[in-house]
Formats: sequence, C-alpha cells, structure tokens
Amino acid sequence: MSKDRKAGMKLSRDKNTAMVIDSILMSVRSLVGNPVRAFLTVLGIMIGVAAVIALVALGNGAKSTVADSLQTLGSNLLIVYSGEPRGSSLVRRNTTNITPVLSQEDLDSTRQLSGGLISMAAPESSASVQLKVNNLNMAATAIGTDVYYPEVRNFFPVYGRFFDQEEYASRSLVAVIGIEVYRQLFPSGEDPLGQKVRINGIGFEIVGIMQEKGNSSQDSSILIPMSAFQRSISGEADYAIINIQAANSEVMRDAQLWVESVLLQNHGIASMDFADFYIANQLDILATAQGVTGTFTVLLAGIAAISLLVGGIGIMNIMLVSVTERTREIGVRMALGARPGDVLLQFLIESIILSIAGGIAGVLIGLLASWLAVHVGNMAAVPDYFSVLLAFGFSLATGLFFGGYPAWRASRLDPIEALRYE
Amino acid sequence: MIELSNIRKFYQMGPDTIHALDDVSLRIDEGDFVSIIGPSGSGKSTLMNLIGCLDTPSSGTYVLDGMPVEKLSRNQLAEVRNRSIGFVFQTFNLLPRLSALENVEVPLVYAGVDRRHRRALAQQMLEKVGLSDRGRHLPNELSGGQRQRVAIARALAGRPAVLLADEPTGALDTRTGEEIMALFAELHKEGTTIVLVTHDPVLADKAPRIIRLKDGRIVGVEDFTLGHQVSGSTARVAAASLSAATAQKELVS
Repeated sequence: MSKDRKAGMKLSRDKNTAMVIDSILMSVRSLVGNPVRAFLTVLGIMIGVAAVIALVALGNGAKSTVADSLQTLGSNLLIVYSGEPRGSSLVRRNTTNITPVLSQEDLDSTRQLSGGLISMAAPESSASVQLKVNNLNMAATAIGTDVYYPEVRNFFPVYGRFFDQEEYASRSLVAVIGIEVYRQLFPSGEDPLGQKVRINGIGFEIVGIMQEKGNSSQDSSILIPMSAFQRSISGEADYAIINIQAANSEVMRDAQLWVESVLLQNHGIASMDFADFYIANQLDILATAQGVTGTFTVLLAGIAAISLLVGGIGIMNIMLVSVTERTREIGVRMALGARPGDVLLQFLIESIILSIAGGIAGVLIGLLASWLAVHVGNMAAVPDYFSVLLAFGFSLATGLFFGGYPAWRASRLDPIEALRYE
Repeated sequence: MIELSNIRKFYQMGPDTIHALDDVSLRIDEGDFVSIIGPSGSGKSTLMNLIGCLDTPSSGTYVLDGMPVEKLSRNQLAEVRNRSIGFVFQTFNLLPRLSALENVEVPLVYAGVDRRHRRALAQQMLEKVGLSDRGRHLPNELSGGQRQRVAIARALAGRPAVLLADEPTGALDTRTGEEIMALFAELHKEGTTIVLVTHDPVLADKAPRIIRLKDGRIVGVEDFTLGHQVSGSTARVAAASLSAATAQKELVS
C-alpha cells in the first residue's frame, strides 16, 4: 500500500530550490497584490539607498569641484605670504592690509635657487582702490606684480595683452583689468583698449582684459606693474606675496624647504617658528581640502546609512505584522507538511524580495537625483558606482537581518495554536 | 495503520494538571471509516491533534503507517504530516491568495514534487472532487461546498495514509454537508482511510465505526461492520475507561 501510494510521485532534484522559487513567486505576487503596502514597507529602504547614492555623488562632486578650483590657481604653486599663518587657505580673502615684509632681495634669491626646483616666481602686493572711467566708479583691488604673474597664477588676458617687461622697467601707467571691472566700467561693451582708467585718481592706460576665473577676488582686480604700484599706490618697497611655481609636483616639498631656508637667512630668523612669513603649498591645501570634503562624504554616507537602518526597522515592523496576520496560514502550511525551516525560508525570502525591490527603486531614485542635481540644479554630483553597489548590498543585508527575527518567530509557531488563531 | 496504545496527554494550567486524554488506546486499520464523537471538552480535539501528528502524547505509544511517531522532532512530525495525514478542516483553511489548483499543490510543494508533476497531480485531485473546471478560481470566488471540496482534494493530493476530517460540514448548510459526506463515503468505497471527528451524532452515524469519547476516555465503540459488536482490544479499554471513576477537569476544546 505504501509503495502504491507513492507511485507516480517524482521528486524534484533539489527540493529546496523548488521551495525557494515557489516562495519568490509567492512573495512577488503578494507584493503586486498589495502595492500600497509594499510601497510603504520599502519606503524607508528606498529613501535610505537613494540618499546614500545621491549624497555620496554630491560629496564626490564637491571634492572634484574643490580640486578643479584649486587647479585653476596655477600648477605646482607655492605662495609666500607676509605675516603669521592664517588657516589653511591658499588664497587669502583679504591680502590688502598685510604689512609687506618680502623684499626684492627675497625675490631675487628665490629666483636664483639652484637644482631645478623652481621654474618661475612673481611678486604681488595689493590694495583696495577706487576706479573711475568717465563718470563710472567702482571699488576694486589693485594688484601690483610683474610679467611672470600670468604664467605662475595660470591667469591670462583674454583680450589685449599683459604689460611687458619694458613697461615694467619704465614704471609705465598701464593696467590689465579683470572681467568684472570691464563689465562694470564699460557696461555698453565698448572697446576699453587705449582708454584711461583712474586708480585713486591716477590715470592708467588699459592694455588688456583678464580671463574670467569665477572668483570675485581675481575677476574684480586690476593688474598693474609692481614698479608703478609701489610708486603710485602703496609707497612700500616690500612685497606682500611672492608667488612661486615649482618645477614639478614631485619637488614641491623640497622647493618649499629651500625657499624657507633662504628667506629665513635673508630675514635673519632662526626657524619657521619665529618667521614673519609663511608658505602655503598647493598640494598640502589640496590634500586638506579633499580631506575635508572626504569627511563630509563620510558624514553624508553615515546619515544615509542611519536612514537605511530605520528602513530596516520598517521592514521588520511590517514583517512582524504580516506574520501575525498570517498566523493561520502558517498553521495550515505546517499542517500540510511545512517544516519550521520552510516557514522561516518563506518569510525570509519575502523580506529579502521587499528589500531588493526597495533597493532597486532606491538606486534608480538616487541616480535620478544625482542626474537632476547636475542637469537641473547645476550642482556637481558624481555618482560613485561602488556606493551604488554598497547601498544595494546593504539594503539586501537589511532585509536579511531585519526579516530574520519575524521569520524566526513564524517558524516557532505552534501549529495547533496557529490553526486556532482567528 | 493507526495504533494508539495507552495514550495520555496532560496540560499544566497553573497549579492544576488537566488530563485531556487518559489512557486511550485505539486501532484504525487501512480502509476504515471511523468517526470520533464526543461533546465539547471530551478530549476529541486533543486526540485529533495527536492522530494528526500536530502534537505528541505525554505518554503512551503511537504507530502511524508502520512508524512510531510519539517521540519525533518538529521537523520529523512535519514530514509525517506531509506524507501520511490529509487534513480537512471545518473552516476549509484554504490559502486565500492561492488559486484552487495552487492550494491543492501546497502539500506537494513541501513533499518536493517537481512543478510539472505537481500541477498534473493537483488537477487530477480536483477532477476527483468534481472541480476540474475551477482550478484557476481563488477561494473567495467559490461556494462553501466547493471550497471544502478543494480542501479535500488538497488533503488527498499527497496520497496520505489517512484523511483526518475535523467537523467537515460544520460551516456548511445541510444539503451541501450531505454532499460532502457522500463524497467521503465514495472515497471510503475507493479504499481511503477516513477519520471523522465531530460532536454531531447524525454525522458520526454515517461512519461504520464510531468511537465515543468523554472526559478524555473512550466510553464506547460501535462497529456496524461487526454487527454492533465491540471489537476486542478496544472493548477492554472502553470497559476500563467506563469503570474508572475519576474526577477530571474538562478541557475546553
């Protein structure tokens, strides 16, 4: 009889595989059958995953923006500032009221440094001035420098020319204006070349317009020969700043040390601890800035991870409700031969399917948000595909972890009690 | 097929021990149609749970389909239920989100039958209960009688040793109930072993053999197949149960 009863029953090769496939189909069906609830269940996971992806993208964007903007300052740049170090900023917000301590001798000895460490150097001093063309006025920063400045600071004229060595040597009253200065003083777009601009009342002939840099300190400046600056505006013989371009990025550290030692010697100071100048190094600042934005990215990712955690708790909550609601179903399945492990597997698969669905939706939303940030919000956002993978994997793990307890509860139900449950 | 010997089952309820079943022995052979009748609290639910391997006895032995099952683990009990027991419940207990056909397939899923065979077997079972054209319907699209037929098809799908029916007509009107009982009679004629648990004497009388339960003991056995005589081993048990004067607490079933 027993044999006869079992005749005609072919067993699947792998019972568990069949069970898993069945459970997946069942879960998908219950998801589709109750879309509002499924949506609300996975909302947390979805937001979490989307947040991780979008925020990491924004963090990456900020990082590359900082790197780009530092790169526009010039390459392999060392800047010697007069005075005490202030923060880690390469470009000091206000360099107009520094007491200049860097002498012509400092500049010359810097330029004479041997060993191929330095390719170029340019002095720089600045002052707040009033500009006037015809009857238009504006406040601006006058920068005195020499002919190497465009090369060192990667800042060139787009129209006309920079002043030349001869004009420098003869203290000519010539000026190259920043793009913002041009826009304000020549609002009708006329050709400024050959026209006179008055700097604190002294007339300078405009010979060029500088390119747009996107930062107000450079775009609102007017560049004149250092010789003319010293005589007509500041009256100071010393420079506030010496801009130095190292030969390449490998020797920047060495170049900085050499410049330090030469300037210390010139100034008769024993060590940098007592120095009346300091040197900012572009690489160091880049590293610091990227470190800051890196911390920012980690912070954002941390916040996003917390929202994933909350999403996981949401899944657990709904799965516990689901287990309670379906107590009778569990009892029936157990009566029909489901082992505790089968019940566990079914509920685990359900929560994993939920979290995968939430994860996929979250990835799409996160990528969409990054795309919108770039194309609509005009922000820098660079999606990191590792973070996409990470967020998706994390959502899966969340489903497994937070689905685990409800599934375990389901599997421990007593079939008799479960069948009696109303 | 089913052999219970000196089965006891007690529950601890606070300081009191409740004897739900007290020294019950009974034997059901292959092809039998037996009804177990008793009032509420007689222990018939407990007995049904034990026979159905949903529960294990406190003491005594139970041999089902040639295998001692009284000491099995939860997993092993699940496998025994899957292989040897076909449950039919009062409230049908169909899974609401599954179609009729898929409901019938459920025990086959847990038996590990592959998809194609499962579907074919389930369809065959639906034909057997006269619902071959209702396979795609969800339970809430079926009448009570049809739902119970689907449940019976599901119980039969795994070709179990015994069909265990708990008040199978309790949720049906009289006429539909009679149809279901006629189906049971037919299945019995084909050789299916059936155990029917009920409190309704009219229903119990449809079975050739009736076991009467009261206060956790067997108080009488009627066997119409043997001309109203009481069979050997169970008679002694029945007599013992009858003579024992014990104050027992009733278990609310």
